[in-house]
Amino acid sequence: MKNSPFKELPLFIPHSHTSTAVNKTGSWRFFHPIYDDKTAPCSAACPLGQDIAGIEMLLSRGLLKDARRLVLNENPFPAVCGRVCFHPCEKACNRTNLDAPIAIHNLERFLGDTALSPVEMPDIAIKAARNKRVAIAGAGPAGLSAAYFLTRLGYRCEVFEANAAPGGLLRLGIPEYRLPRDILDHEIKRIENLGVTIRCKNPVTKDLLEKICQDYDALFIGSGYGRSIALKIDGGHLAYDGLEFLRRLHLGEKMSFAGKAVVLGGGNTAIDVARCLARLGASPLIVYRRRIQDMPAFEPEVEMALREGVEIKELLAPIRLQRNQSESSFAASSYTLNLQQMKISKNQIHGRARIMPDGEKTETIKVENVFVAIGAEADALWHFPATDTAGAFSLSHCKFIDRKIPLVFGGDLTNPVDSVADAIASGKQAAMVLDTYFEKGPAAVDNALAACRIGPGPALSMNAYLGENRQTRNPHVVTYNEIVTDYFQTAPRVTPSLLDANRRLESFAEIESTLADQAAKEEAARCFSCGNCNACDYCRLYCPEMAVRVEKGRRSIDMDYCKGCGVCATECPRNAMALEEEIK
Amino acid sequence: MKKVIEGSHAVAEAARLARVEVIAAYPITPQTHIVEALAEHCANGSLNARFINVESEHSAMAAVIGASSGGARAFTASSSHGLAYMHEMLHWASAARLPIVMAEVNRALGPGWNIWTDQTDSLAQRDTGWIQLYCEDGQEALDTTLLAFRLAETLNLPVMVVLDAFFLSHTFEPIDVPDQQQVDRFLPSPTPRLRLDTAAPNAFNQLVMPTAYMEMRYNTQLAMEEAVRRFDQIEKEFKAIFNRDYGPVEAIHCEDAEIIIVTTGTVTSTCRLVLAELRARGEKVGLFKMKMFRPFPVEIIRRHLASARKIAVVDRNFSFGAGGIFAQEIRAALCNLGQHPQVFGFIAGLGGRDITPQTLTEIYNETKNDSSPAAESIWIGLNQEIVESWSN
Repeated sequence: MKNSPFKELPLFIPHSHTSTAVNKTGSWRFFHPIYDDKTAPCSAACPLGQDIAGIEMLLSRGLLKDARRLVLNENPFPAVCGRVCFHPCEKACNRTNLDAPIAIHNLERFLGDTALSPVEMPDIAIKAARNKRVAIAGAGPAGLSAAYFLTRLGYRCEVFEANAAPGGLLRLGIPEYRLPRDILDHEIKRIENLGVTIRCKNPVTKDLLEKICQDYDALFIGSGYGRSIALKIDGGHLAYDGLEFLRRLHLGEKMSFAGKAVVLGGGNTAIDVARCLARLGASPLIVYRRRIQDMPAFEPEVEMALREGVEIKELLAPIRLQRNQSESSFAASSYTLNLQQMKISKNQIHGRARIMPDGEKTETIKVENVFVAIGAEADALWHFPATDTAGAFSLSHCKFIDRKIPLVFGGDLTNPVDSVADAIASGKQAAMVLDTYFEKGPAAVDNALAACRIGPGPALSMNAYLGENRQTRNPHVVTYNEIVTDYFQTAPRVTPSLLDANRRLESFAEIESTLADQAAKEEAARCFSCGNCNACDYCRLYCPEMAVRVEKGRRSIDMDYCKGCGVCATECPRNAMALEEEIK
Repeated sequence: MKKVIEGSHAVAEAARLARVEVIAAYPITPQTHIVEALAEHCANGSLNARFINVESEHSAMAAVIGASSGGARAFTASSSHGLAYMHEMLHWASAARLPIVMAEVNRALGPGWNIWTDQTDSLAQRDTGWIQLYCEDGQEALDTTLLAFRLAETLNLPVMVVLDAFFLSHTFEPIDVPDQQQVDRFLPSPTPRLRLDTAAPNAFNQLVMPTAYMEMRYNTQLAMEEAVRRFDQIEKEFKAIFNRDYGPVEAIHCEDAEIIIVTTGTVTSTCRLVLAELRARGEKVGLFKMKMFRPFPVEIIRRHLASARKIAVVDRNFSFGAGGIFAQEIRAALCNLGQHPQVFGFIAGLGGRDITPQTLTEIYNETKNDSSPAAESIWIGLNQEIVESWSN
């Protein structure tokens, strides 16, 4: 105190004039921590190997543009996939063990939809142009993806499409209530904007094929399964081709039905046909020769169909179809369908229960219409060339044949699973194969693909192919036991609002809605970010020596002071760190 | 401006006017109203302070130790078990010479579970190196809290402002709440002599060898001794601004008294009435209020008490196996004088039991009528029915 008559008291306490930084605790160390990003199970399960943890991290922080860039790096069709993909990522999600998986497909759709506006679109990096042209047969998801990825790698691509508009099954197969056409148009437009030329009404005929072999440096064939498998029973020709029905519907033909319509088959096409028929006035009945749980159709689709009033009868195989004599002039057509009852045999084949006729038990039903959707096959033009010729090899999603020019087959022709995601994956794989082929020769392909594999499966990352950060990630797939769940509280999974069940049958309006901004951010924040540092900073907060440094968002360990206690690696909630022993 | 507020809020108002920068506290009855009011001030912006929520009193004290080490004006409040839980950190605060101010509301320790007033909690901390100042009413609680910050920052010692539970903490009285400008004149912003500074890193309180530990403790004792003198000086400045003072002790009619009753806290107010009645009857009695318990103002005590014949000390506390704590300390302060009064120790009002004018009159009469104390401690107002039931 200034005017105090007292002098200042002596103060005697231990006190250093340097900081504890003089004590280099790093000399005590026998272990040191490393930042060791691993593989999230969702990424490993995604046929496209998308960086889902990274995407959710950016999204949860509102960095939408960066999140979109990450999505578009691996997938040209997020708005489409967010709607129609069977999302194996969610089945693999570790969060399932705590409460419920992250709604990854809703988040992908959210990002995909917001990326449709040109203002919100991130720039897509394109490598320097090469003097090589690639022709692509088929403007379905496989062909368009091949074009997208090859263009980004610097190739000039032209797509030849038989139909009047691009999209393949996305346009002519998948109904609008699952995929509105303006969404599809936008995503295709984005690919065209990169410089891809799409030539519609331009099927690859024999003449064109010869011309391509002369004028182009490579050909990708993603022509898909254009032809339905016929029903080989007595009167099978009377059943209407389900795929053809969908095609006509999507080309704008006005149709209406009444009475019972039987759909034979158990795949996604059968479900789509039945749900469309329900919207056109019919009472659809799916007849499947195996059990409901054996249907190859994706489970949520089956559930939706049942909720919309589609009936399913299992363990019934068609044996005869007959046209009835017209009972009244109003009934355009009326059929009798004879069905054989089936039963499950004890033997399994390919992991599926085998079925066999259940004695002489049969059923007869009278129906107004019969549709068949028991599978599809490639059109006559693209019979597989033999793959055992010299210079030919098979990959997870593609077949490569070195002819006059290299040919790569992809899409439904070669995919392990007939899905949109696998089709896109084949396009990506083809791009990597062709690029490696031109750069380093065919012998280098295996190693090049192995280097950008995400997890133990076939998923490939374009980010890793381009030598970016994902290339160095540890392939170990993080399990639930490796998550420090003390850091996470249970939180309900977001549910997008759905079109009122009563309204669905009135039109082909889309059923599920896109998430709102805040809901998407909150859902993304539920992500464990398995094996991926999301800058939660617990390592830095808990380090007793303050040895964790953050510079420009990157974390590193100051080895002068890290005493190897391991608190950081133990506390990392998501197993994005590891401890390494030091031999001194 | 005069306001009718409770004792707890008088302390909270003082902390607000002192512009405390960090508050860390854990709730415990009967202290909670103090930090509740401060939390509201922090929330509504009427106090620019960081309120740190903690999981225990040990951490509350650790947090204000951290804040004070960084040079911030820091405040906390506690009671009873909460204070006991802080014990280790109380030693740290004083040995680290940190000018922390704490309001401590006297509450009995359990079991038996009891939330009412009893001084044993604060007196059990007498050896922790904290200055302890006991308050009689709401105005004194407010003023003492302001004085405490000046005293603490002048001496680099922590100060405990002690209030009786409920009788003071929860009683509404008209209290003069001073203007901010007045308080700012009395209490400038802190200018710590030592503090942690990220720009020039250093460390405090490392290992001290036997060669220096004693000197460190002696240095603290010098500051404690100085506290009696500095209190007086600071109170003069306080009086110049606010026109109020209390002194480390207050002696009423002690000059000619044969018997002097020694009180602390709110009992003093009750005793003022008893004193007036006894004096009116011609009794030669005095009242000696002890505000400052640490440092123990031995010289002042001797000056006021030495010439009386008998001293009656009212202890609302007890040290098991010994006696009332104020009585012990007063006896010790007087024993080295050649001639000194007899010291009668009375135990009264434990666990919140009322100390009424009748209780104090009984204490006076017993002191007057007995030539020497009947026992080391005389327990006043015990329920004889209960006590006698034990002898069967």
